[in-house]
Amino acid sequence: MQEQTVEILYNEPVSSRYFRLGLKWKTPAIAPGHFVMLRVSDGLDPLLRRPFGVYKVLGGKGKDRLKGDGIELIYQVVGKGTGILSGKTRGEILSVLGPLGNGFPAPHPSADVVMIAGGMGIVPLYLFASTIKRGSLLFGARSKVETLVAKDFKALGLKIKFATEDGSLGHKGYVTDLLRGVITPATTVYACGPAPMLKKAAEICAKEGARCFVSLERAMACGIGVCLGCAVKASSHNEKENKNYIMVCSDGPVFDSALIDWDRI
Amino acid sequence: MKKTKENPLAIVVAGIKLKNPVMTASGTFGYGSEFVPYTDLSKLGGIVVKGLSLKPRQGNPSPRIVETPCGMLNAIGLQNVGVEAFIDEKLPKLKGVDTAVVANIFGETLDEYIEVAKRLDDAEGVSGIEINISCPNVKKGGIVFGTDPLEAAKVVSAVKKATRLPIITKLSPNVTDIKLMAKAVEDAGTDAVSLINTLTGMVIDIEKRRPVLATTTGGLSGPAIRPVAVRMVWQVSQAVSVPIIGMGGIMTAKDALEFIIAGASAVQVGTANFVDPDSAAKVAEGIAGYVARHGTTVKELVGSLTTG
Repeated sequence: MQEQTVEILYNEPVSSRYFRLGLKWKTPAIAPGHFVMLRVSDGLDPLLRRPFGVYKVLGGKGKDRLKGDGIELIYQVVGKGTGILSGKTRGEILSVLGPLGNGFPAPHPSADVVMIAGGMGIVPLYLFASTIKRGSLLFGARSKVETLVAKDFKALGLKIKFATEDGSLGHKGYVTDLLRGVITPATTVYACGPAPMLKKAAEICAKEGARCFVSLERAMACGIGVCLGCAVKASSHNEKENKNYIMVCSDGPVFDSALIDWDRI
Repeated sequence: MKKTKENPLAIVVAGIKLKNPVMTASGTFGYGSEFVPYTDLSKLGGIVVKGLSLKPRQGNPSPRIVETPCGMLNAIGLQNVGVEAFIDEKLPKLKGVDTAVVANIFGETLDEYIEVAKRLDDAEGVSGIEINISCPNVKKGGIVFGTDPLEAAKVVSAVKKATRLPIITKLSPNVTDIKLMAKAVEDAGTDAVSLINTLTGMVIDIEKRRPVLATTTGGLSGPAIRPVAVRMVWQVSQAVSVPIIGMGGIMTAKDALEFIIAGASAVQVGTANFVDPDSAAKVAEGIAGYVARHGTTVKELVGSLTTG
């Protein structure tokens, strides 16, 4: 799987800071939870690629829903790299490395599925939700305006509960507040969002005896397990295998939450 | 081109035969086999693997990297599998790959350097040893050896005695006069020098008023440091007669050729491997194009700079 250049199909703002980026994409096939490394400019600044979760496979149908003719990423403009990306238009070419990493493991057929997202953590969960087509979603954001993509999940028939920090939609407070009431030992939780949210979700799941998978985000230079920049501390469970640090890019980005040392995240 | 004609890209550095002058820099290319899905290893002159210590090392806490203008700062902390696991598990994966494999080594004590070198001496498929006396990201050893000419010379002569393999000493740019360091390790018996390792740097998060890296400081690499590296290679080439391997921010063949013209017999591509895992092969290809266009050889180009 080499670097490839792909054509931009669309690059449209969802709101003032969020964009949907459609890319022409044939192979290799994407699995939910995979990410890609994009180079936003040919220049030297910014130098490094940026990791982006894959939101959607375009044009995939039925059994082949993960094999389409394009992919959609959703990104937030946060710095120089994403600023440059937001100025790109249809027909322009981007260098992409991917798909990379290990995706979400499929839930046991008898498991209740709860997805929990914080902010941009919603991105990899949509592809997952569209594959399994069941479960419920707990979606946390700063305010209502950041929850626009929820309608895509509604279209899949998923039940959604919202939490916003400013109270403009749903529960006023953190999305993890909603988790306590809805999980049992028969639940498998799939979580993606900021590290404090994931830590809280992992704690609640451990207490309730529910399985929890988290998708982590870290600054990374290569995306292929060689720069060793995206290390996170592994729990003692992992230390037995002499893996004190695990790499988000190549060991993850999806991990069983029990494998992470949450006190040192 | 006639088949009998000598390969215009070939160069011998410290007795190590390279089919072209492009190697990959330690710490940016794993143990080599990780790049098989992304590039053709046989297009490279050589591979320098991730720095090896006697025992496995877990590395530094996170965050370990931060991007900077035209570069990046890292403080990985020499995380590696240890020399035994390298020999047993990683090295066999490179068997049959037509490229030179150089093992980069480091220790916290002189004895550790010696032990690691001894283990590699009998390993099949290792063409040479690069001694890291210059990593800025470990608390013990490393940088002390790399900034004191007497200490550096001690490491080099001890490793030289411990192995029959050619040795390359990797120099730190974080010194007042790199020529002194180069001269000291040359006198101690190194077969070649490689430079530069990263420049010590620091990035601060002004909202938190804290350093971004968990270790406070880290090593700066990437094109931001290239002019400094070229200058140092040129200076060292004036001071020593052992071959030089130049590195520091090489992204393209043009960048690599600057080092060669300045006096480097070979180059190492580092941070560029993160941006494009095929970049070292592309650099080699670009040098081949330049050499053909100018009707010359790499050997002729080395140190061909005219000044004044």
